[in-house]
Amino acid sequence: MAAPIDTGLEFFRQVLELRAYRQEILSADIANASTPGFKAVDLDFTGALGAANARRPGADAPATPKRAWLVDDARHLAGGAASAVDVSPEYIKYQTGTEVTLDGNSVDLDHEKVTAADNAVQYEAAATFASQIVRMMMVAITGSSSQQSGGG
Amino acid sequence: MSLFGTLSIAGSGMSAESERLSAIASNIANANSAGAGQAYRAREVVFQAAPINADADDTSQAGMTGVRVAAVVESSAPTHTVYDPSSSFADANGYVQMPNVNPVDEMVNMISAQQDYQANLEAFNVAKTLAMRTLSI
Repeated sequence: MAAPIDTGLEFFRQVLELRAYRQEILSADIANASTPGFKAVDLDFTGALGAANARRPGADAPATPKRAWLVDDARHLAGGAASAVDVSPEYIKYQTGTEVTLDGNSVDLDHEKVTAADNAVQYEAAATFASQIVRMMMVAITGSSSQQSGGG
Repeated sequence: MSLFGTLSIAGSGMSAESERLSAIASNIANANSAGAGQAYRAREVVFQAAPINADADDTSQAGMTGVRVAAVVESSAPTHTVYDPSSSFADANGYVQMPNVNPVDEMVNMISAQQDYQANLEAFNVAKTLAMRTLSI
């Protein structure tokens, strides 16, 4: 029995979710760059991805899927595991080493911009890898890659 | 989806910063608005971190905070008086009360607001690009 068809995609789904979440945290820092008392936070991406992978349901997934999919045969793919990424608060950490202004704000705008740009590139990279996996599946299904359009 | 939250957060930042900019514009425009009894007092916006969706059912997603203008307060800096007996606002001794607007403060504040607005716009555009990229997987 071959591996489930979404084996590779599932990993990149988690990566994309976490990258998007980190982008959200960084943009919250940027939005609050002038808010008195606001402390900049960041996502520990490596730790969060490791935790998400550890939680990932493997071959021993629960028999009853979380969602009511139309499964009338035990060999059908089970649903579930498509819920939004859930990040434990322990991976959201206060940024240290930045200058705290007189009004108690610790957002370093330049640092946030650079981190957000880096995160965006990583997101695009993960999206490209996900595209490649889709393309590989299309090659396996159709026997040639010329019939696959889109992706990138 | 997180990317739409990013758009909301950056949007809240942009609207808060533009409110700050309009307060600054109001202050600069009224830098010489003498009043009969009470001169114009400089306005200042107070920012506050605020969750972008109030009905968030999961508390696990800490850090999802936008920004909002909590209040617009009047500056407590003292107004100054000038001697101008010909003004229609002059009191019995010929003194006119002038606003407590400090143009230098306002200009510095404006530069800061502009930079913050641009940073929010950048975050918005990046989130938009990433969302479009996701559509093409």
